[in-house]
Amino acid sequence: MTSPQGGPGAVTRPLLELRGVTAAYGGIEVLHGVDLAVPQGSVVALLGPNGAGKTTTLSVACGLMSPTAGKVFMADADVTGVRAEELARRGVVTIPEGKGIFPNLTVKENLLMATYGGVDMAHVEEVAYSRFTRLGERRSQVAGTLSGGEQQMLAMARGLAVDPAVLLLDELSMGLAPLVVEELYGIVAQIARTGTSILVVEQFARTVLGVADLAAVMVNGRIRAVGRPDEIESDLSAAYLGV
Amino acid sequence: MDKFLTFTVLGLSQAAIFAIASSGLVVTYTTSGIFNFAHGAFGMMAAFTYWQLHVAWGVPTWPAFFLVVLVIAPLFGAGIERFIMRGIEGAQEVVKIVVTVSLMVALIFIALWIWPEDRARPLGSLVDTGEIKVAGVTLTGQRLLTIGVAVIVAIALRFILRGTRLGVAMRAVVDDRSLLQLNGGRPSRTSMLSWALGAALAAVSGVLLASEQPPSVIPLTLLVVNAYAAAVVGRLRSIPGAFLGSIILGLSISYVGAYMPADAAWGPIALDNLQRAVPAIMLFVVILAQPQVSLRAHSLQRVRAPMPLPTQRLAIIGGLVLVATVIAVGSLMSGPDQNTLLRGFGFAIATLSLVPLTGYSGQISLSQLTFTGIGAVVMANWGASGNFMWVLVAIVVCGIVGALVALPAMRLQGIYLALATAAFGIFCYWMVFQQQDLMPGSTASVPYLRVGPIEVGSDYGQLVVLALAFAVIGNILVVLRRSSWGRRLTAMRDSPVACATLGLNLMSTKVGVFALSAAIAGAGGALAGRTFVVDDFSLDQSLPITMLAVVGGIGSVGGALLGGLLLGVQPIAVTALAANAIGVFGFFSASVPQVMSVMPGFMGVSLGRSPDGAAAEIGEAYRDFSRSGPAVATAIVAAGGLWFAARTELIENWGLFAALVVLTFAVIPVLPALLPPSGMARVGRSAPTALWLLVVLVLSALIPWETTIGSTGFRLLAILGWTGLAAIMSIGILGVNPAATDREPEPSPDELGLGSDLGKADAVAAGTLLGLDEDVMSLPTSEMLVGLRAGDPS
Amino acid sequence: MSALEVSSMTVRFGGHQALSEVSLAVDQGKVVGLIGPNGAGKTTLFNAVCGVVTPTSGSVRLMGRDVSGIPTHKRARLGLGRTFQRLEVFASLSVADNVRAGIEIRRTWERRGSTARQYLASGEDLPTEAEVQVILDRLGLSELADVSVGALPTGQARLVELGRALGARPSVLLLDEPASGLDDNETADFGKLLIELAGAGLGILLVEHDVGLVMSVCEQIYVLDFGSVIASGDPDTVRSNEAVVAAYLGAGT
Repeated sequence: MTSPQGGPGAVTRPLLELRGVTAAYGGIEVLHGVDLAVPQGSVVALLGPNGAGKTTTLSVACGLMSPTAGKVFMADADVTGVRAEELARRGVVTIPEGKGIFPNLTVKENLLMATYGGVDMAHVEEVAYSRFTRLGERRSQVAGTLSGGEQQMLAMARGLAVDPAVLLLDELSMGLAPLVVEELYGIVAQIARTGTSILVVEQFARTVLGVADLAAVMVNGRIRAVGRPDEIESDLSAAYLGV
Repeated sequence: MDKFLTFTVLGLSQAAIFAIASSGLVVTYTTSGIFNFAHGAFGMMAAFTYWQLHVAWGVPTWPAFFLVVLVIAPLFGAGIERFIMRGIEGAQEVVKIVVTVSLMVALIFIALWIWPEDRARPLGSLVDTGEIKVAGVTLTGQRLLTIGVAVIVAIALRFILRGTRLGVAMRAVVDDRSLLQLNGGRPSRTSMLSWALGAALAAVSGVLLASEQPPSVIPLTLLVVNAYAAAVVGRLRSIPGAFLGSIILGLSISYVGAYMPADAAWGPIALDNLQRAVPAIMLFVVILAQPQVSLRAHSLQRVRAPMPLPTQRLAIIGGLVLVATVIAVGSLMSGPDQNTLLRGFGFAIATLSLVPLTGYSGQISLSQLTFTGIGAVVMANWGASGNFMWVLVAIVVCGIVGALVALPAMRLQGIYLALATAAFGIFCYWMVFQQQDLMPGSTASVPYLRVGPIEVGSDYGQLVVLALAFAVIGNILVVLRRSSWGRRLTAMRDSPVACATLGLNLMSTKVGVFALSAAIAGAGGALAGRTFVVDDFSLDQSLPITMLAVVGGIGSVGGALLGGLLLGVQPIAVTALAANAIGVFGFFSASVPQVMSVMPGFMGVSLGRSPDGAAAEIGEAYRDFSRSGPAVATAIVAAGGLWFAARTELIENWGLFAALVVLTFAVIPVLPALLPPSGMARVGRSAPTALWLLVVLVLSALIPWETTIGSTGFRLLAILGWTGLAAIMSIGILGVNPAATDREPEPSPDELGLGSDLGKADAVAAGTLLGLDEDVMSLPTSEMLVGLRAGDPS
Repeated sequence: MSALEVSSMTVRFGGHQALSEVSLAVDQGKVVGLIGPNGAGKTTLFNAVCGVVTPTSGSVRLMGRDVSGIPTHKRARLGLGRTFQRLEVFASLSVADNVRAGIEIRRTWERRGSTARQYLASGEDLPTEAEVQVILDRLGLSELADVSVGALPTGQARLVELGRALGARPSVLLLDEPASGLDDNETADFGKLLIELAGAGLGILLVEHDVGLVMSVCEQIYVLDFGSVIASGDPDTVRSNEAVVAAYLGAGT
């Protein structure tokens, strides 16, 4: 899946694409036709206030939810309705909001769960422990007792080791100190350079705009604006601060 | 010293069996969140299957053993997961408990049916080494083997759950099912395997237990209650904890047996049964020692459709009709049948006692008959004159005891309350009801009622008293449900944390409702007007009560009557139909009543297929049925009429049976559509449907089944086919599927949690709202969906 | 006197510090805003204030009385009310019954000698039914009185939660994202309602992601980030505070 043509700013054909996606909980529609494309090897930030439908968009992209209408494409193949576990085995790594780890499993056991796509456990461990030495020191520790930052690193280690085609990140920065967030986004940028297409959902812009090639602003279940980070600043202010 | 060593080893070999059983329990609980009350029944079934293979069919010991433990039991467990347990994921705790309890009851009946208790079925030792002397202690090879197997199980479990990806995934499923999916794991397959593993462990413990002494269905099923006590030590989640608990339990039982003299007593209280009560005592003590569970804000539970409030007018009319019916029907009955109906009403009041507890406040008790027993014992010993004052005393005593039992368990989640009540039931069975001072000759004769100068003098009179009591209590419960207290209970069931932030003391409210429930059950005992034996109050008698209260319709008074009577009048059906035996494949034979006895269990299990009736499941129709007073009345009149016709020999017994089957499975599910409960609209073409139902019922009763079809098995098949045809025709004529009238509230995005995953059930609920069939939901085509969402511009 | 006073509140979950040394005060008759990014610890603060979560350290004073360590229901009886971010309605009861339950629960403990508190504009004691009607009217829910709450859209269900909390006649009200799910007009009405409630003497602590609403109704705003108060003051002060802008939009944009 790695491609030399990837890299920040490069505009290539989209690896992940949502076309006219609508989705509903119960009878209540929360996405009203979302179009979103993540070009190969680039980082796209999906921003917007609480309740805008960002997480739902991600749930549709990773296969946990089926859209009520619209399509999801991966590398031009229609994957609408394909189950999350099958997508995962095809190289989609998703790190959900605030719970990317199994709290009652040890660090090592958490990493073992990353091997379903066919990656060797030894490789996973090596990548994880060399990138995050603190995880290496705590491999037998139960993940729930790690600090918030360490937990997020553990979740990210999976994204690093598996070398995914698509990486979906939800609220990576939630509840973490700025330094940790910066470190994590450094890794995001690094993963993108290997050709992985990355969609990052964040409620607040923060550091993500520093690494994003494109940003989309979502309000009330619709994409309000898409563009380079500097192009959408006014939309962002309007969306958040109501000015 | 030798004695001490001997009993230590004996205790350890017992502990080994508990450890295997309890670790199986822990495996299924930690990997599915469902506490499998049927775990013991799994073990019991495995033991009998082993007997069938080894003793009856001559398969050699070890092939038979491994076939049972490694093939049959795991397949059985996986099937249970696939077809029953998967459906109750995310359901209310009460539903989860009732489904596994129902499974246990169903398995007990199935086992009694296949392997009737007409003779002992010894399994024989697995190893035949004679006696071995180790360090001065004499041992059988069987005991050594048992301990060895437990050690192997411990090592194997540790390896599987810690060292293999599959085992780690089994634990991961509980932590976060959707995250496992996002990792590429397949949670449904993983859950199936963990149930297979749990069933295999149950099978090992069952076969080992049964090879020490000939298995007997109910004791063997309940023996595994000991495993519950052991598992609680590890808070139901830790396998080492379960092993530790097993060792403590095994040794305690062994030492009490060794050192407690046979005539031990504490003051006037005989302690001779203490050994058998040890697991229950331990369970209770461990639950007491558990730390308080903090108030959890919202864990998503699918909310049942709101129960329409019964109107007081309807309740009063219902009560009057009930009493009048009993007066009329009772007068036509023979003495033994009156006695049976008396028994049925006793059960009905016990079931009724669960209406406020389970229906209104969402809590559970598995041992309501224990309170019935306490009420009966108080009345039999002190109120022998039948004086009404003693009924009141019995009610108060039961209320107080209920409050005391509930107090420690209320701090904990539903499953612990269920276990605590089960432990209380077992404890009372051995330590209270076995006291010769309280129940001389193991019986308790509850007198007929006497109020001032009015004295009841016969079963018939007492029957009317009980019907009156049911009507009065039922009406009081309806008043309560409509009162501010009833609203508070419902509020507490829906959101305990919100109630606390409004200033409600949850503890005292919960204890209060438990006490009320115990008091009602006690009233059923004090007014029973018949002679009880100790076994009337055993746990296996209580479990179906809880099951039927939920199946009959959580929290509806009509449902309680239906459930209780169904349980109680079963013996009438048994005597009426006992002669009709069916041979199936020459493997076993069963009588019609046996087939019928399995049905309540399956009805409970069917809750698992649709815990809140999203699909067109019969259970929903039954619940609607029980909510509709006119429908219940119609069914009772129909059943009564059929019974009367059979009594007067207008129709033959097979006609009665066929008509009852048609009534239960083809007529009752359609009735609520014709006579809807309050809050539901009448749907479909009701007049032609009503006519058709009447015709089909009369036809069923009049067809000369016995003379036209020679073989019992074919006859039964014909009746089943006929029933199916009748049901399909009814729905066809009606024009709508009565169970498909969906009243499920739409889950809001907040309730579902935008961040959390959607379970299959949520997807199904969502799809059902869109009008989809379940089988097309996994891969809905967009055209289809767009078509259904016509009018939406996007 | 402050109606609610939180001092040096710290909450730790395992290795995660959800709140550190948070202090804030809500005066009677004021609407105070509490804003901050997702995961900043706002809901944890609410839980700690009403006793659902046990803080590692710190204290809570309610109408001058230290309530740290006493159970949730007793704090409620001393005048603390709240709503929930993730709905905690009585889903199987009707709208009116939800409010009625709030009033009826209050009556059970009032009978045991707890004092009656402020309520909307008047402190008068109405019969339960009249009180239900007053609350439903005020929240614009009268027409939905007999609808089952489980069937309501989120915005209205949140109003039901508020009505239920009002039924308990609190002196201090904690509102957790009460306006999410309301449209613009409804939000404007809701803002008026908050000001009116405060005018009747209630102290209100408002967590809300609709910053526009917060800015328009609150006299005082606290900004929480990483479990700490990073800024506080009136809306203009907060709006121009660099740390706040950085917390929301990230430094350098």
